[in-house]
Amino acid sequence: MSLPILSIVLWLPALGALLLLLVPRGADELARRVALGVALATFVVSLALPLGYAPADLTGTRLAPELQFAEELAWLPTWGISYSIGLDGVSLWLVLLTTFLTPVVVLSTWDSVHKEVRNFQILLLLLTTAMMGVFVAQDLLLFYIFWEFTLIPMTFLIGIWGGENRIYAARKFFIYTFAGSVLMLLAIIGIYVLHRQALVAHDPNFVGSMNFSRIVSDLRSGNFTLETGIERMLFGAFFLAFAIKVPLWPFHTWLPDAHVEAPTAGSVVLAGVLLKLGGYGMIRYCITLFPEASRWAAPAIAILAIIGIVYGAIVAFAQTDMKKLVAYSSVSHMGFIVLGIFALNMEGVSGAVLQMINHGLSTGALFLIVGVLYERRHTRELEDYGGLWKIMPVYAAITLLVALSSAGLPGLNGFIGEFTIMQGAFLAPDLGWPFLGFAVLGVVLAAVYLFKMFQGVFMGELEPANAELKDLSRREIATLAILCVPIVLIGLYPAFIFNSMQVSVGEALDSLVLLAAGR
Amino acid sequence: MLTWLIWFIPLLPFVGFLLNLFVIRQERQAGMLASATVVASFVLALVATVLLAGLPEAERRVQSMAWEWIATGSLSVPFAIMFDPLTAVMVLLVTGVGALIHIYSIGYMHGDPRVVRYFAYLNLFVTMMLFLVMANNLLLLFLGWEGVGLCSFLLIGFWFERKEAAAAAVKAFVVNRIGDAAFILAMLAVFSNFGTLNFYGMEINGRWVPGFLERMPEIFGLRFGPDWQPIAIATGISFLLLIGATGKSAQLPLFVWLPDAMAGPTPVSALIHAATMVTAGVYMMARTEQLFAASPATQSWVVWIGTFTAFIAATAAIAQWDIKRVLAYSTVSQLGFMVAACGMGAYAAAIFHLLTHGIFKALLFLGSGSVIHGTHETQDMRKMGGLRTAMPTTFWTYMVGAAALAGVVPLAGFWSKDEILAHAAAYGYWPQLAILFLTSLLTAFYMGRQVALIFYGEQRDNHYHPHESGQTMRVPLIILAIGAIVAGFMNIPTLFSGMPAAHLLTDWLQPVLHEEAGKFNLVVAILATAGAVGMGYLGWWAYTSNAAKVKVGGLDPAYRYTGDIWDGMQEAWYVDLAYNRMVVAPFRSFSATLANVFDKQGIDGMVNGVGRVFTWAATEVRMLQNGYVRTYALVFTMGAVLVLSFMLFVTR
Repeated sequence: MSLPILSIVLWLPALGALLLLLVPRGADELARRVALGVALATFVVSLALPLGYAPADLTGTRLAPELQFAEELAWLPTWGISYSIGLDGVSLWLVLLTTFLTPVVVLSTWDSVHKEVRNFQILLLLLTTAMMGVFVAQDLLLFYIFWEFTLIPMTFLIGIWGGENRIYAARKFFIYTFAGSVLMLLAIIGIYVLHRQALVAHDPNFVGSMNFSRIVSDLRSGNFTLETGIERMLFGAFFLAFAIKVPLWPFHTWLPDAHVEAPTAGSVVLAGVLLKLGGYGMIRYCITLFPEASRWAAPAIAILAIIGIVYGAIVAFAQTDMKKLVAYSSVSHMGFIVLGIFALNMEGVSGAVLQMINHGLSTGALFLIVGVLYERRHTRELEDYGGLWKIMPVYAAITLLVALSSAGLPGLNGFIGEFTIMQGAFLAPDLGWPFLGFAVLGVVLAAVYLFKMFQGVFMGELEPANAELKDLSRREIATLAILCVPIVLIGLYPAFIFNSMQVSVGEALDSLVLLAAGR
Repeated sequence: MLTWLIWFIPLLPFVGFLLNLFVIRQERQAGMLASATVVASFVLALVATVLLAGLPEAERRVQSMAWEWIATGSLSVPFAIMFDPLTAVMVLLVTGVGALIHIYSIGYMHGDPRVVRYFAYLNLFVTMMLFLVMANNLLLLFLGWEGVGLCSFLLIGFWFERKEAAAAAVKAFVVNRIGDAAFILAMLAVFSNFGTLNFYGMEINGRWVPGFLERMPEIFGLRFGPDWQPIAIATGISFLLLIGATGKSAQLPLFVWLPDAMAGPTPVSALIHAATMVTAGVYMMARTEQLFAASPATQSWVVWIGTFTAFIAATAAIAQWDIKRVLAYSTVSQLGFMVAACGMGAYAAAIFHLLTHGIFKALLFLGSGSVIHGTHETQDMRKMGGLRTAMPTTFWTYMVGAAALAGVVPLAGFWSKDEILAHAAAYGYWPQLAILFLTSLLTAFYMGRQVALIFYGEQRDNHYHPHESGQTMRVPLIILAIGAIVAGFMNIPTLFSGMPAAHLLTDWLQPVLHEEAGKFNLVVAILATAGAVGMGYLGWWAYTSNAAKVKVGGLDPAYRYTGDIWDGMQEAWYVDLAYNRMVVAPFRSFSATLANVFDKQGIDGMVNGVGRVFTWAATEVRMLQNGYVRTYALVFTMGAVLVLSFMLFVTR
């Protein structure tokens, strides 16, 4: 048996959190260093994943999603529940995004977290494990546990280290997203029960299974069928949980509150990875398990998505608080991702996966950028700034690069994702050009609000109150420069990500293909 | 050999950009390095062009793919460039004029605290512009297209402390983005109809993939849209591209950003906002000529947009006081000529005018930069006057540029403009011809006015001592002036039978644009020249003989004859104002309402409302738990009765 690399990557941060418990409370510097060490170690180990991932491996049955680094341990065998994890081409990059962002987030805590540093790091590392767990879990119950567990550390991160209104924001975040996922639990149980009932007919000794691949292969082979009405209800229950997490318009209002109150590091995790859980869930669960219902709902969901794209952008423009502006820009960008997923074709879905990574990088960076100013001046109001280009040239240059990535400038990562998504939606028989007419409005407006922010902060006269601001410290440059590397790299050579996800995305869409062939 | 040689043309300036960004910190080195890389690119471009000319005519297209840029599902876009006759002339213009402007900038920007960054931006611009004209597919063209837009933003906003420069920079980017959105839609439509974004066929992974420009017949007759209003696909795509071109090439209705863009340093205006970037739209239309030719509907839009823009901008140019704004509106107007030529199908004439205009308008801008430099940052022509004695080189080169723009025989502008007018006459575009002819008269007039105001009469503001500019600025002026004199001969029409070296450019472009050379129209030529000389003289005479009436901060001598019309011309017919009132202001208030009312109270109110319902319900239900045994007994009894009756009467 080879080394369980995936389990190591998954649990290393949690182990690190345990280790941090040994660090004395007041030893802030030590706590940060330990956390950084753990995060870096996790990242280094996780590099083995893309290197060991065989993209075009078509061995094994085509009926189930192709998994690599799969591990399985019996957990509750009486009910067919197991600790089952594995990677496919989609989760591979989302796991890597998580392990890549974690050290960046820890680095940012040097400047943004000043109380209870040790506990902050513990929660952060626990959160990392939980988020990765969602991406790698291959058992429905395990998935659900990881999914709900992400709420706990995040709620505390907002509620303890947040701004003035933190309690309200934390409570809203928790209740809103929790309420959304309760129905998903019901749906998971529903699938489990229905699956068992269907399979017992063939095999009286069958105890039931929560294994994702098993259920998918039974669905595709016809051993397990869902009635249209039931399929749609189950789809709806899953979809609601994911839609709130993404967040899709009109379920987005928790996001600006959470972002504004969360500490910088919390915002980066929230925008960088946590929102991706929703997009990942849509691809993994909604489309793969319920192809017919996905197809049925696609036009309606795409309409919500384009409303979100345009609405988020317009509302972002009206914000004077930079963090809120970036938060609403997330609503707009995540709308693109949902649009891509529900294009239900190769271009749309793979573009959406890429865009999840892009959004994680560029929006994460934008929150860090806002954090830099907030730590110096303790205000995020645009009108308090202006003319900073003169005294903070490095900061301005990095901000410009990130803003352009977010606005979708060709040659940087955001454009590749957006263009691929739009091409997918254009080609989709259920969507087509009228949807795109609205979606490109989002591209125009992205330039409008991001340049409004850039102009407000960096151009014009320098205010005397800001005259003494220092340009980025070395640590800040390092933190942001790390993020800039993949921003440029993906913009010019996205193939290294696209290539390894082709097979997996293709398999997620297989049931749709089967469906179309059956008609 | 060409396949790898051509990569160095865009990469050299890019290396210059990287070095200037990360390594170089000294003004002198930055200027030298930036100029050297562009000069080297120019030399390489010359070599490449010579090599290209050595190939048989049918094979004059070299394509070279670096890697597969986007490849997922059916979407496949190579990161590939090409070199063909049309690209060659564009590359020569960009690197040639670019090199001169880099050298000029060494003198012009001397002493600016951020000069290293300036040269970095300029290098990046040249790189992006080269990718734009060398791209072998629409998406890479779009990379250059947006890239030059970014550089334009950076350079307009170079002096970002100035509020109007910052606003102009953002405005330029945003207005261009509107056009770009249409461009994106066009690309999506091209891809979904042809399955490729490559212009021409090329080998990808050992398979020959034909380009979409070669497959036009496939979309003939195809339509989309609702049944009551079907639109031909060719019309849809080409119209979207046209919108893209109106943004970048500053045509109606998106021209408003260009006059404001003059807030950038003057060499930038010369390079980006006159000679190269703004011509990208014309280049793009010429490149995708087959697509436009497939849609007569779009073509008539193209020709009318060009014609109206030419005329309206020329009227605006007459009424400006700012030396650069005159040239800016003049650029818009000349771009209108080129666009109109594209609309008439005279693509070779459009490219010809693009090239000559690139030379003489760069000359005029650099000349105006020399004037601004020599008068200590004076831009208001009311404060100038009589500068010809103080700055003789600038004066003479400016005169050449002005005459070339006005269309005086035999300078460059005459030949290229005449070719457009002759084409209009030959193909029966009479109303357009009339308007364009009128425009060329106005062009001569405003140049006469400008020359008179700057160089003749007495100096009206004595707060500065004018001086001639230094060597690095004068040499590019002289070279460009020579260019403005001789450039027309690259495509001189056949004046007498058996004339050698006629129509060189049209013949050279023939493999790309498939166009036969037009006939020389003596009547149009004579009328145009007579008009140009006459109106130029009139402009000059009117403003030299009335020089005494021009006062610093005063009104134009012509104002009392024209009144409100002059106001309209000065404000470019209030297009900008209309946008501010009808688009920008409503958008602001709509966005504020959406954010502060609809989102906060509407959507979030609903969310919190659900929360409140639960709180309220919980409070109400809590009342039941009041601790009195009698209440519990009552509830218990009622419950028992209900259950019993249910069992007795319903489930019996």
